[in-house]
Amino acid sequence: MRRIVVLLIALSLGMVGMGGVIAQEEQVLVVGLSEDYHSLDPSRAYEPGGSLVHHSVYDTLVTFPSDSVSEIIPNLAESWDISEDGMVYTFTLRDDVTFSNGDPLTAEDVVFSFNRMKNLKDNPSFLADTIASVEAPDDLTVVLTLTQPDAAILAKLIFDAFSILNADVVREQGGTDAEDAAETDTAEDWLMNNSAGTGPYMVANYEPTVQTVLVRNPNYWGEPAFFDRIIIQNLPETSTQKLALEAGDIDIAMDVIADQVASFEANPDIEVFSTQSDTLIWLLMNADPEIGGPVSDPLVQRAIRYALNYEELRFLSGEGANNPASMVPIGFAGALDPSEGFAQDLDKARALLEEAGYADGFTIDLEYPDFNYIGTEFGIVAQKVQADLAQIGITANLVPQEFQVSLDLYRNGEQGFSLWLWNPDYYDTLDYVEFLPSGVVGNRTNWTDENADPAILELRDAVKTELDPAVRAELFGEIQRWLQEYGPYAPLFQPGVHFAYRSDLQGFAYNGQWRVDLTALSR
Amino acid sequence: MIARLNASPINWRLIRVRAGQNPLMVVGVIVCVVWIGVSLFAEQIAPYDPLAQDIMARLQGPSDAHWFGTDQLGRDVLSRVLYGGRTSLPAGLLVIASATVIGTIFGAIGGYVGGLWDELLMRFTEVFMAFPIIILAMAIAAALGPSVNNAIIAMTVVWWPNYARIIRSLVISVKSNDYVESAHAIGASPTRILFRTILPNCVAPALVMATLDVGNAILIFAGLSFLGLGPEPSSPEWGRMVSDGIDHYDQWWLSTFPGLAILTVVMALNFIGDGLRDLSDPRTRKKLG
Amino acid sequence: MALHKYLARRLLLMIPLLIGISLVAFLISNSIPADPTAANLGERAAADPEIVAAFRAKWGLDEPLHVQYLTYMRNLLQGDLGTSIRSRRPIAEELARYLPATIELATAGIVVSVVAGIIFGVISAVWRNRPIDFFVRFISLIGVSAPVFWLALIGLLILYLRLDIVPGPGRLDARIPAPPYMTGMYTIDSLLAGQWSTFRNAVEHLLLPSLVLGAFSSGLITRITRSSMLEVLSQEYMMTARSKGLKERHVILRHGLRNALMPVVTIIGLSYGSLLSGAVLTETIFAWEGIGRYAYNAARTLDFPAIMGVSMLIAIVFVVMNLIVDLLYYWLDPRLRQG
Repeated sequence: MRRIVVLLIALSLGMVGMGGVIAQEEQVLVVGLSEDYHSLDPSRAYEPGGSLVHHSVYDTLVTFPSDSVSEIIPNLAESWDISEDGMVYTFTLRDDVTFSNGDPLTAEDVVFSFNRMKNLKDNPSFLADTIASVEAPDDLTVVLTLTQPDAAILAKLIFDAFSILNADVVREQGGTDAEDAAETDTAEDWLMNNSAGTGPYMVANYEPTVQTVLVRNPNYWGEPAFFDRIIIQNLPETSTQKLALEAGDIDIAMDVIADQVASFEANPDIEVFSTQSDTLIWLLMNADPEIGGPVSDPLVQRAIRYALNYEELRFLSGEGANNPASMVPIGFAGALDPSEGFAQDLDKARALLEEAGYADGFTIDLEYPDFNYIGTEFGIVAQKVQADLAQIGITANLVPQEFQVSLDLYRNGEQGFSLWLWNPDYYDTLDYVEFLPSGVVGNRTNWTDENADPAILELRDAVKTELDPAVRAELFGEIQRWLQEYGPYAPLFQPGVHFAYRSDLQGFAYNGQWRVDLTALSR
Repeated sequence: MIARLNASPINWRLIRVRAGQNPLMVVGVIVCVVWIGVSLFAEQIAPYDPLAQDIMARLQGPSDAHWFGTDQLGRDVLSRVLYGGRTSLPAGLLVIASATVIGTIFGAIGGYVGGLWDELLMRFTEVFMAFPIIILAMAIAAALGPSVNNAIIAMTVVWWPNYARIIRSLVISVKSNDYVESAHAIGASPTRILFRTILPNCVAPALVMATLDVGNAILIFAGLSFLGLGPEPSSPEWGRMVSDGIDHYDQWWLSTFPGLAILTVVMALNFIGDGLRDLSDPRTRKKLG
Repeated sequence: MALHKYLARRLLLMIPLLIGISLVAFLISNSIPADPTAANLGERAAADPEIVAAFRAKWGLDEPLHVQYLTYMRNLLQGDLGTSIRSRRPIAEELARYLPATIELATAGIVVSVVAGIIFGVISAVWRNRPIDFFVRFISLIGVSAPVFWLALIGLLILYLRLDIVPGPGRLDARIPAPPYMTGMYTIDSLLAGQWSTFRNAVEHLLLPSLVLGAFSSGLITRITRSSMLEVLSQEYMMTARSKGLKERHVILRHGLRNALMPVVTIIGLSYGSLLSGAVLTETIFAWEGIGRYAYNAARTLDFPAIMGVSMLIAIVFVVMNLIVDLLYYWLDPRLRQG
């Protein structure tokens, strides 16, 4: 009863804060974002935009430092042990953490949150695939047992989907972590306008496609954040975000494209942050001769890799972009140095084509989803590829497709030659095993155990269960070099990612996982 | 002979005299002729190949080398604007022409035959007019792929009801005129009456509307491109160029020049349409006269 | 025919129309060669057959087409418009939020275009072929001839960024919360709640979008008003009025305009109808979450229930507008009343 009263008071405080008149001393942060999420239920969290909310409202067991993804540091768990065989992880929780309604954090909340996330069978549930069970032997200890050794599990736990929710509150609102949660859980509705987390902020209000409002958590267990209120406003067009930022109506623009950077930099009231993103833009060449036609031939695949002008592709993508050497983006442990990558060599490309029997070139359809992914206009990239290939005699007919249609064809493995992107599901190089035979992408390229070279299969199986970082790096190196020779892919570039914010904002830091930590900002 | 009692609605000699009194229309005609000429002779006039990319020279403002600047792939904007009419103009014309033909067939039948067929026609056209074009266009684009041809199909499907209704109401109003009754009385067959008597009198208003609509069609193309449903990205179509340039409004030359091209063509067509209306309307002619 | 009989007939005719629309919407949605699972499930979820099966079962996607259609119609008759696949919220609730936004914008736009259009049209007709006529026609034609999203952007660039006369995109400033929901239209709701600063802000945010939106129809209205006035001005009863010695202005306004209004009313009705069906381009640039935007997103993500719901809603709006226009005709033209 007392908990409910406290919760109600906290909520009404939030609502009063929202009422008609705004106090002069209140510090408000306004963020411009092209909204990509429809739910504020963290156990279903999957979209990058949603991280702005979840990272401010909920906490995870472990986390990354504010500006990198290469180190894992304690968060709600102050320490952990890993068993010899890598199958059991034992976490010890902090004893001073409270939820926004005052309830103390216990291991039971962790168990509930993890099980709920797994059993909801929603978009992020695959991250829990390697988790066999999670138990709470006592109030401050969590034991995680895996189905197989998984070097990436700690990185996965940082995902919003593994946010820790207040089990009691969520249960009261119809939430459940039982096996059939996918059908029986009804807490999502409540979670859309409320929150049950341990973070510095709480959800005050969510108006889909308009704005999301967060207010300060009065019971926060750590250092209070600077801003009293955060408003995340949906501005779907990058040009509108730019206008709003320039006029001072928003403090941060989250969707800046490379071509806007120069103009922002010339503006003394605005700061720009540019860095390379983890998105990989690449060409798919179907390994099935019936679907891929000429591009199913490894010689042709290599010829295409030599035909592309990587420098111009990078220039096209703008500030912060880079060319990865192979199918592991720069920044991931074990990624090859960019100097090992391809450089355009038209003579070599033509020679390879001739060797493959296409001395006069050939004609092929280049399919792609006709959309703009944070500044990378797929139509523009496709046109560039078309121009490059024309130089070695390959006539690529551009076939732009409606995004959903293209996605469907791609997932069904029906595209012969297409342009796509890949975002890491979690921050470990293991994610890129999906490009190997029978992986998620491998299947879409019709590259499976049946038609793949045993050498790559061996490498793949070895790296999946390897835990030693040095050995892993070596294995990944070998895999990447193998892909450079014989793989059915051509890595084009890693686009840059850019943010712009008003100069009076302090504390800006970029992290690939949650992009911008709003709780660390001040004025 | 009797069918021609009410003289043909467009008297060409009179028009030439009136042109002097209607300068806007003259301007319109001149502009249209210029654009048609430009589109036909684009190869000779344009300084660059509209498809030639020069990545390292991308997004540069107007200069001596490139009067209208360069776009995201380093292509010359001036050349692309000059070639742009080749897609935009015929596309607009084709949509309206198809819509007119289809609309006339249905409208004439409905208006002339009347009764149940007429009611059915009205309901049928209402369904099409009430249906949101966005969804229809997106469905067609998804099913057939985004391209100029499919955009033309989508627009024709949505546009013909307008013409059907116009022709239908014109046919109905003409139907009850005296000379039609006389034609009946003489024993002319219904088809003959329809084609020889009724339809020619519908030409003028329909022509006026069609002229004005070609401009509209070009505008809607631009809109469809903005939504991602238009022609292939490398093709220099004005609407596509404007929508591609929206995100780069600092590089104002990307959207401004093709936008101006659309503006001039559509305004010219509007002037012509207005002028035609003034000339063909017997009452206003009388006042002028 | 008598008014109530006319009304009854028209309303009855709406039913087959709506059935027709629902059929067309249904067929169109199902002819798109893409799977809503792809649109609404993430990469990994879509690769898991169990999750895909659960998704399809939940949305009844495995049922034969006619069963899906009949289920939808049956629910519809009970007032249930279904749930959006993309946002998982009831469609009726979403439409109730999006439609008022468009009504607000469209109404503001139509007011702008009617005022500008009629004034321009009258000027143009009365001083026909004088310089003022050409000037007015030129101005009104710009609205008709420029791509609307281009106009919107130019408007924002100049009036918002450079001159700071109008506020930026969105229906309200970010820092001002929405008024309590009564009609869904921020202007009316804030008035009802007595929130004056919110009301002023909402009106300010309406200025530029309604100008841009109204530009096109104002050109049309100018043209129709002009030609209609011209026709009327040359009629005999006008000469009679003049010869009676009535002042010119009186002649024009009392006798001329009233009779000229009928075709103008048609155009106004049609324009309003088309504005209501969602000016998706304007709504996109101005971050105005209206029906146009909703229809576009629904089509893009293959949200079948949403596509059906919004198509029917737009159709109803269109038909109602037509009906109102016809009723206005009836009222304006005494001849029809005897028919």
